[in-house]
Amino acid sequence: MTSLVFYIFATILIFAAIRVVTVKNPVHASLFLVLAFFTSAGIWLLLEAEFLAITLVLVYVGAVMVLFLFVIMMLDIDHKTLREGFGRYFAIGSFVAVVVLLELYMVFKAKGSDLATTTAKAMAEDVPNTVALGKVLYTDYLYPFELAAMLLLVAMVAAITLTMRPRRSNKYQEPSKQVEVKASDRLKVLKMPAEKAE
Amino acid sequence: MLENYIPILLFILVGLLVGLGPVLMGFLVGPHKPDEEKDSPYECGFEAFENARMKFDIRYYLVAILFIIFDLEIAFLFPWAIVLQDLGWYGFSVMSIFLGILVVGFAYEWKKGALEWE
Amino acid sequence: MIKLLGAFFLALGLIGAALLGVVYQIWLSSPWQLLWLPITVVALLLMVAYLTYAERKIIGYMQIRIGPNRVGPRGWLQPIADSIKLICKEIILPAKSNRFLFIIAPALAMAPALAAWAVIPFDDGWVFADINAALLYLLAMTSLGVYGVIIAGWASNSKYAFLGAIRSTAQIVSYEIAMGFALVGVLMASGSLNLGDIVRAQSGSHGILDWFWLPLLPLFVVYFISGVAETNRAPFDVAEGESEIVAGFHVEYSGMLFAVFFLAEYLNMILIAALTSIMFLGGWLSPFADTPLESLFAWVPGVAWLFLKTSIFLFLFLWFRATFPRYRYDQIMRLGWKVFIPLTIVWILVLGVMVVSEFAWFAPAVSSTV
Repeated sequence: MTSLVFYIFATILIFAAIRVVTVKNPVHASLFLVLAFFTSAGIWLLLEAEFLAITLVLVYVGAVMVLFLFVIMMLDIDHKTLREGFGRYFAIGSFVAVVVLLELYMVFKAKGSDLATTTAKAMAEDVPNTVALGKVLYTDYLYPFELAAMLLLVAMVAAITLTMRPRRSNKYQEPSKQVEVKASDRLKVLKMPAEKAE
Repeated sequence: MLENYIPILLFILVGLLVGLGPVLMGFLVGPHKPDEEKDSPYECGFEAFENARMKFDIRYYLVAILFIIFDLEIAFLFPWAIVLQDLGWYGFSVMSIFLGILVVGFAYEWKKGALEWE
Repeated sequence: MIKLLGAFFLALGLIGAALLGVVYQIWLSSPWQLLWLPITVVALLLMVAYLTYAERKIIGYMQIRIGPNRVGPRGWLQPIADSIKLICKEIILPAKSNRFLFIIAPALAMAPALAAWAVIPFDDGWVFADINAALLYLLAMTSLGVYGVIIAGWASNSKYAFLGAIRSTAQIVSYEIAMGFALVGVLMASGSLNLGDIVRAQSGSHGILDWFWLPLLPLFVVYFISGVAETNRAPFDVAEGESEIVAGFHVEYSGMLFAVFFLAEYLNMILIAALTSIMFLGGWLSPFADTPLESLFAWVPGVAWLFLKTSIFLFLFLWFRATFPRYRYDQIMRLGWKVFIPLTIVWILVLGVMVVSEFAWFAPAVSSTV
């Protein structure tokens, strides 16, 4: 039963992932990505990683994809302009793909034997997943945990510096500038020759 | 544990059904008289004069990014909150450091005016 | 149009098939659940129907009107008349809209609103999915509600809808953080993500003083107000401010498509009210526990107490709408980011000290789960 569910989820996941890169409309693509995240959450759930599965939905579907949709809507991407760059980016794109594939292969080769056997081995019967996670995250993995805080801080500062522009659309007075103003800045006295009456 | 999640799947499916079923009923029962004027987007009686999917203020985007960061923070706080009673003062100080670092970021965005709307 | 209907039937058929499979699986494990599921769903939808009636009636009396009183005795059949009317209305699919997304958007709003109910404990042990990560699941489900709004706004191809959707999304997202922090406080106090355990952690020897509303008072207030903002209800309803952006993201929706959005919004209201009562007002626990009146009310089932507490918050929703003028958008964002988030962070730290030092409520003898 479990493996049947796994194959159903896996099929949907692969289908959705392929549609993400093949579908034309970027909004549809991001919705397929949402579907992909959902099914991966389902697969994680099958591994009894309930905390991680729900966090995946919470963070990726609930937050990251909302940002994606915002960006896509904000850019209002035209299909035609998307097509144009295809040839140009194909080379670098395929290079990155090959590198990632190689990395995946190396990871599987190094850890492949482990992957099959270590699923849910540390799970005690009646300790909830989240408690088990909490007990190691804040003790054994303290350093990476605090590092994550630093990462989030950096992300926050970066986001602000990238997007914040000093706003000048609102009208307010700057008294110092008002005081500094000299008559010569504002007023120009022109000499005009008197017009002669005809 | 997994069998506990079956009702959830069922509820999600029923939810979609409750979302789509009445609409289907509406399509079957309701009239269909499409009309050019009726189908045009609402624009206070004017002709729509530009694409509705316009560009919008970048600070919505900033809000979305800040939301992701804080959401992650909450995801980190959840396991901590339920083991706090076991971890005691050690756990409290660990999270104080974590929150402290993030409060610095929060103070920064506050000072920078990222939270200002007008 | 025929193609569209075909896709519709196909989707429904697929869902139906999947449903049958799951139904069979549950029937094998626990037959009684199957019976309760449709009953619960119908009961919830009826509650929504009569919440709309209550809203019109209560706000009517608050404004010295009498509200609906024509259909049936005292207007009791009004919600039914309304739903029949909505079914018979034409569903308009605006030109240049993205039809598929336009039609599934209400379902995307509905599904998480209903799915969240799977983990709600109506009474001790009366819950569909007794999962350990229930509260996390709830937070995830409430964060999915935003998809219906954002997709509806985009698919409509209308400026007002788009503007409303973006406003609404930014608002929902902002208040979700405050909500999440408030939930962290509940977790700290109860030590469990399971909603049943959270209620049980609120039982003690001091009756209502043991409920979490007292030690978590600021979080309680923040959570409920964020809930009001999250459901886009007055006074936080700028996203649909009918006087400025003509009902926001669902301006192009009509007939049943609109009705489903409406159902989802009210279902979310009931959900927020129920959750607030479960997490802060002791869920199914009797308010007369540990008082001389305890035995007098012992016959009242837990679900009745939960219903009563939920009704109080639903009444507050309506009262807010009748009383408060609409907030300005900048005020909403300021309240969310500059008041609620700092407040919740501070209270989490205060609570941390209280929990670790086992202060009053958190002394093991009093609040330990049975």
